[in-house]
Amino acid sequence: MQSNQRIQFTSSKIEDLMFRTTFNPKTMEGDVIVNLSLIDKQDFDDVLKIFSMAINSGLAVSPLLKILHEGDSISGRKVGEGEVGFATVCSITIDGLLLKAGVMVKPRFGGLVEIRDGEPVRFTNVLTYHSTTIDPLEVLMSQELTSVMSMLKTGSGKILANLREAPMVARDVIDSTLADMVDAGINGILEVGEPNTRILDVPVERDHLGIVVIGGTNPMAIVQEHGIPIRTNAMSTLIDINKLSHINDLV
Amino acid sequence: MTDPNVERKLVEIMRIINESDKPLGARLIADELHNRGYAIGERAVRYHLRILDERGFTKKHGYIGRTITERGRKELNDALISDRFGFVITRIEELIYKADYNLETGKGNVIVNITNIDKNDYDNATDIIKYAMDHGATISPRVGIIEEDTDLDIYVPDGKVAIATVCSITFDGLLLNSGIPVVPVFGGLMQMEDYSPAGFLDLISYSGTSIDPIKIFLRRKATSILEAIDTGNGKMLANVRQIPVSAATRAEELLNVAAKHDISGHLAIGDPGEDVLYAPIERGKVGIPVMVGINSVAAVEEAGINVDTHPVSSVMEYSKMKKL
Repeated sequence: MQSNQRIQFTSSKIEDLMFRTTFNPKTMEGDVIVNLSLIDKQDFDDVLKIFSMAINSGLAVSPLLKILHEGDSISGRKVGEGEVGFATVCSITIDGLLLKAGVMVKPRFGGLVEIRDGEPVRFTNVLTYHSTTIDPLEVLMSQELTSVMSMLKTGSGKILANLREAPMVARDVIDSTLADMVDAGINGILEVGEPNTRILDVPVERDHLGIVVIGGTNPMAIVQEHGIPIRTNAMSTLIDINKLSHINDLV
Repeated sequence: MTDPNVERKLVEIMRIINESDKPLGARLIADELHNRGYAIGERAVRYHLRILDERGFTKKHGYIGRTITERGRKELNDALISDRFGFVITRIEELIYKADYNLETGKGNVIVNITNIDKNDYDNATDIIKYAMDHGATISPRVGIIEEDTDLDIYVPDGKVAIATVCSITFDGLLLNSGIPVVPVFGGLMQMEDYSPAGFLDLISYSGTSIDPIKIFLRRKATSILEAIDTGNGKMLANVRQIPVSAATRAEELLNVAAKHDISGHLAIGDPGEDVLYAPIERGKVGIPVMVGINSVAAVEEAGINVDTHPVSSVMEYSKMKKL
């Protein structure tokens, strides 16, 4: 076995990526964290339609993405013959931005959030980042527990989301950073909790507040719910934001 | 959302009703709540039951009592995430305690995984299970076969046969029974090279998840067990527990005895405080990886036969289990 195959828990992978995030929402420059998904070429049109629908319904972190064709490579992973790749913005980018704004943010877990009549109600399944070497949202996608499509159609279902905690003293910086992000087209904040208050049925640490962000892998979950094979590698690498294009320019 | 304290009582009442095989009345529910450390009277139970009825989680059958509805059962799976964080490990601890197989007398229970197989696939499936077990992919080559209505404790759906395979957590039960404090830490995907384990590729800790780690790997279809048996290279499932360094010698003796009872397939006892096959181990502890019993049924799925598996689901008298 190669030594570079040695296991690394997601929590340490996340910290590494957060440190390497350089995107500045005010100047619109720098690198963001992306998920890489590969599909079969013949499914391209269907998948693009699904992505467009999901992203325009707000079920993604950002409308920006990059399409990779045969032979293109990204962080050492090459898009193989007969394949198409999608690099989409990962929700951990938000943690990177908060960190660079000086907020000691702690990503805690990825999970499924139950949405009832358009309102997020509670987490129903979770995996903490320090307990797994595979991205929690990737794990949950493979368990066939999501119902993202039904959420879009009826307003009720289970979507992928993740939770981080931040110290309440940083509240003002958090608010202004999140506002800058929204201006820069990075959305996906599902809920910001009150200090010392449960968020979506999960208690937070003392003097902290919880922030729930929609998982960047929800569009992939929909693709999977349609029975189209998709191989997702969450939190893959970083990419210059100016190399990404708006979904509506691609459809 | 209701007050978390009320919510907790509601969930506990649903669990009690769900665990019963007949309708339950408020009196019995109040008694059981008392056993579980909830000081709540019969009157208050009735009040909570009315809330559950209104939400459609329970159903009243005249004076006999209440049963849980399908909706209530679903709610049990989703409710109280902060409790279920530690639920996987709590459930495992409960079964470790119940696994009382005695290596001297040969009596007692082991922990089993239950797999439901379609009757039509039964012969093919058992061939593969036997093949995997003969090649040491599991902790024990013994299985229990449960047909419809033969066993009251284990429910077998119509048209199915259930096969019980010995779960690797049985090992933890044996360790605990000889006074060794044991903590199951990770379930993981093991790379096999030249017919022996080379190291874990992925790990998921038993604490910090609301879904059983082995179930996660099984559903991800991450294994290549048949390939590992045929060519020596492939991916199998294994888990790791840790015990204090001072108990390592005792554990080793125990493992030798267990092998005589068809309980083996352990990979190695790690070195004190060292990673074992890349799985991190606390200082002062040693790690013991074991091949999980689920490997045999994962092989069945690899062969394209659909089965429904519940890891770490129950206990069974080991003497009733036979080699295929």
